[in-house]
Amino acid sequence: MRGSVFAVTLRARQRGWLIALMSLSALLLVAMGAYRNIDLSIYTELPEAFRSLIGIPENADVGSLAINAMVSSYGAITIAALAIALGSHAIAGEERDGTIALLLANPISRRHVLLSKAGSLAALTALTAAGLWAAILGSAAVLDVSIEGMHVGALALHLFFSSLLYGCFALAVGAWTGNRSGAAGAAAGLMIISFLAVGILPLLAGAKGFVRIFPWHYFDGSDPLINGVDWSHIAVLGAASTVLVLAGIMGVDRRDLKSRSVGVTLIDRLRAHPLSERIIGRLAGSARVSDIWVKTASEYQALFLIVAIYTFFIQGLLLGPIYNSMPRAALDAMSNLPHEMLALFGGGDISTVEGFYQLETYGMMAPVLVMILAIAVGAGALAGEEQRKTMGLLLANPVRRSRVVLEKAAAMVFYAVLVGFVTFAGVALGSLISNLGMDIGNVAAAGFLQTLVGLVFGALALALSAATGRKNVAIFGAVGAGLALHLLNGLGDLSPTMAGFANWSPFHYYLGNDPLNNGMDWSNAAVLAALAAVLIGLSVPLFERRDLR
Amino acid sequence: MNQSSAIQTEGLSKHYGEVRALQDLDLDIARGEVFGYLGPNGAGKTTTIRTLLDQIRPTSGSAFILGRDVHEQAVEIRRHLGYVPDDLTMYPDLTGHDTLTYFANLRGGVDWAYVDRLAERLHSDLSRKVGDLSSGNRQKVGLIQAFMNRPEVLIMDEPSSGLDPLVQAEFQQMIREVAAEGTTVFLSSHTLSEVQRVADRVGILRNSRLVTVESVAGLRSKAMRRVEFEFASPVEADVFEGVPGARDVSVQDHRVTLSYEGRMDALLQAATGRYEVVDLLTEEADLEEIFLTYYREEEQPTGADDGRVEVIA
Repeated sequence: MRGSVFAVTLRARQRGWLIALMSLSALLLVAMGAYRNIDLSIYTELPEAFRSLIGIPENADVGSLAINAMVSSYGAITIAALAIALGSHAIAGEERDGTIALLLANPISRRHVLLSKAGSLAALTALTAAGLWAAILGSAAVLDVSIEGMHVGALALHLFFSSLLYGCFALAVGAWTGNRSGAAGAAAGLMIISFLAVGILPLLAGAKGFVRIFPWHYFDGSDPLINGVDWSHIAVLGAASTVLVLAGIMGVDRRDLKSRSVGVTLIDRLRAHPLSERIIGRLAGSARVSDIWVKTASEYQALFLIVAIYTFFIQGLLLGPIYNSMPRAALDAMSNLPHEMLALFGGGDISTVEGFYQLETYGMMAPVLVMILAIAVGAGALAGEEQRKTMGLLLANPVRRSRVVLEKAAAMVFYAVLVGFVTFAGVALGSLISNLGMDIGNVAAAGFLQTLVGLVFGALALALSAATGRKNVAIFGAVGAGLALHLLNGLGDLSPTMAGFANWSPFHYYLGNDPLNNGMDWSNAAVLAALAAVLIGLSVPLFERRDLR
Repeated sequence: MNQSSAIQTEGLSKHYGEVRALQDLDLDIARGEVFGYLGPNGAGKTTTIRTLLDQIRPTSGSAFILGRDVHEQAVEIRRHLGYVPDDLTMYPDLTGHDTLTYFANLRGGVDWAYVDRLAERLHSDLSRKVGDLSSGNRQKVGLIQAFMNRPEVLIMDEPSSGLDPLVQAEFQQMIREVAAEGTTVFLSSHTLSEVQRVADRVGILRNSRLVTVESVAGLRSKAMRRVEFEFASPVEADVFEGVPGARDVSVQDHRVTLSYEGRMDALLQAATGRYEVVDLLTEEADLEEIFLTYYREEEQPTGADDGRVEVIA
C-alpha cells in the first residue's frame, strides 16, 4: 500500500492541496471577521436578478455571505483547479515526463494506473472538502457567528462531487490524447465557461433552461448551503465522473503511449508545409531565438492565445450584447444600492454599463487574466529554466545574470501589455457594436491599470523565483498574495475597521479611482509601476548572489 | 595566479552545510592541455565544474580561467568558453538548428560552415526538435554547441554519454584536433578508455579531495603489465632478479614471463645484456586497473602535497 500508485500520487500531490486548504481556511476566517462589522440590512432588499449574478442567497447573514464568497467561488475554483492539475497529470503528465514507461514496466495494467490515479484524485478532493467543512465550523465557532440552519456538510458534498467531475474530465481527455496541457486547458475552459454561464444565463430571458448543460449548475444551482443536499444533482455529477473514468480507461487502453514527447504546435505544422515554410521558418525559427526575451515570450504563445481569445470574446465583446439583452427593470432597480455593498464585487453599479463591465470583467477576471501570464512567465522564466536544467547552459554564454533576469522580465511586460490591450479591444468593440457608448479613453485607462496591477504580481513571482529557484514557491506565493490582497481591498471598502488596510492592496490603486468613469489616474498608475519596477529590480541581486540549483 | 594557466584553482572548497562537496582543490592546467578529471560518483567532479562556470560560488578559495577570476570576470571568460553540462538538457521545443542559433546569437555569431562540418562529422540531424531526439543524438547537439565558437577552453562533464562507439571515436578525434590548435580541454568522464586515449594528464578525485594528478604516460609506466621474452638459448632463472619493478618471474627453458611495472628500457637492458632476444610480447598497460585502484583506495593519501600518492597495485 505504501508504495502503490495510489499512495505515491497522494504523497506527491498532498502539499499543494494542503497549502490551498490552509489558505482558504485563513481567508474564510478573515472574511467572516470582516462581514461581522457590516450592516447587513443592505442585503435584504437586493433584487433577485442581482443576487443570482453574484451568488448571494436569500436571507443572507454573516455566515452565509462569508461562506459564499470564500467557498462557493474562490474555494470551489481553487479546488477544481487542483483536481484538474492532478487529473491532467495522471496519464498525460507521466507521458510528457517520460515516467509512464518506467511505471508500466512493472506488473501493473494501464487500467490499474488510471484507477489508482482517479482514486487519489477522489481521496484528495474528499479530504480537502472535508477540511473546508471543518474550517467553516471552526471559524464560525471562533468568531461566534451563527450558522444555524445552514447545511455546511451539504455544501462540502456538492463541492466534492463538482471538483471531482472537472478532475475526471481532465483525466479522461489526458488518457485519450496524451496531451497534458490540452487536457488541463479543456477542463479549465469547461470550468470557467460553466461558472460564468451559471451566473449570467439566468438573467437572460428564455435562456435559463440552458444552465442545465453546465456542470457548475449542479454544484450550487440548488443552493445546497440553504436547501441541503440535492441528491439528483449529486447523482448527475457522480454519474458523469464515473462515465469519464470509464472513458479514460478505454482511451488509454487503445492507443500507443507516447515517450517523453514534444507537442506539435500550429507553427510547427505551418513550418513543415511547403507553402508557408519559408516565411514561417523565418518567423518561428531564427526570429524566435534571436534574443532571450523573444525566446522566453515564444514559450508562452499557446497560453497567451488561449487567454487572449477568452478575454477578447467572453470578457469583452460578448458582454456588450449580453448587457443589452438584460431586463431593464432589473438593472434599474439596482441603481440605488449602497456603494459599500457593491465594492466587494468589484465596485460596479450595474445599472450603468460601466458598472456592469466592472463587475463582470474588471473587478476580478481582468487582473486575473494578466496575472495568469505574468505569473507564468515570472515564475517559469528563472526557476522553470533552472528546474529544467537549461539555466547552466544558458549562462555558459557570455551573458550576465542580470541580463537574463531583465530579458525575462521584458517578456513578462510584453504579455502583460498585450493582455491589457486585448481586454481594451474586446470591451471597446463590445461597447461599439452594442451602442453602449462607453468612453474609449477610459476603457484604455482601465486596460493600462489592469496591465500594471497584473505586472505587480508577475514581478513578485519573478522575485520569488529569482530568490529561491523554485517554481512552486513563486507561483503559490504570487497567487496567494494576489488572493489575499484582492480580498483585503474588497473588505477595506466594506468594513470601517478595515478601511485603512485597503491602501495596502495593489488592487486599491487599480480600480480605486473608478477608471471606467473617471479615466486615467496617473498617480495610481505610478504607484503600481513603481511597485512592479522595485520587485523586478530586486530580482537582479536576488538571482545574482545565489548558487544555481 | 599564473597568467599562462588555462584553468587554475587555489584551495577551492564548496560546502553545503555539513556536506563537504569539494575540499581544498589545487589545480593548474596549462593552455593546450587535455586534462582528464576522474573520480567515483559524488566525488565532486560536477561541483568543481559548476564552480568554474560560476553557477555556484565557492565557500572558500578561488578559481581562474585564462587568468581571469571565474566570478568577477565570468562574462568575459564565457566569450572563450565551450561547455557541455552533466545530464544535458536543452529546450525540447527547439530544433537543433534553432538551439544553436539561439546560443550563437548570445555569443555574437559563429561560423556556420564550421557548425555544418561538426554536424556532419557527428552525423547530427539539426532539423529535428531536440525533444524528439534520443539521448545520444541530443548529446551531439550539445557537443556541437560547445565546439562551435572555437573556444579557448572546453569544459565538458560526461560528454560522451549516450554516444555510440563510432561517434565516440570521432569525438575523441575532435578533442585531439582542437587541442593541437591550442584549445584547453577539461574532460570529466567515467569512460576510462576515452580519458586514456585523449588526456595528457589526469586528476583523480575521491571523497571531495584530489588524490592525484599524473600524466597518462606516468600512470602507464606505473601500470603492471605481463611481459614475455623468448630467447635464443635457455636462460638462468635469476636473469631479471634485481630489475626494479619485475615480479613473478617464471622461466621455462628459453622462455621467460614476468609482471613488470616501470619504464621498459631498464627491463630491455637487463634482457639484452646477457642473451639474444628472439621475440618479445607485452600486453597493453592496464590503466583502467590503476584508475580503479585510486577509486577504491580507502586510506588517506600520503604525500598529497606534491599531488602524488603510492599506488597499491
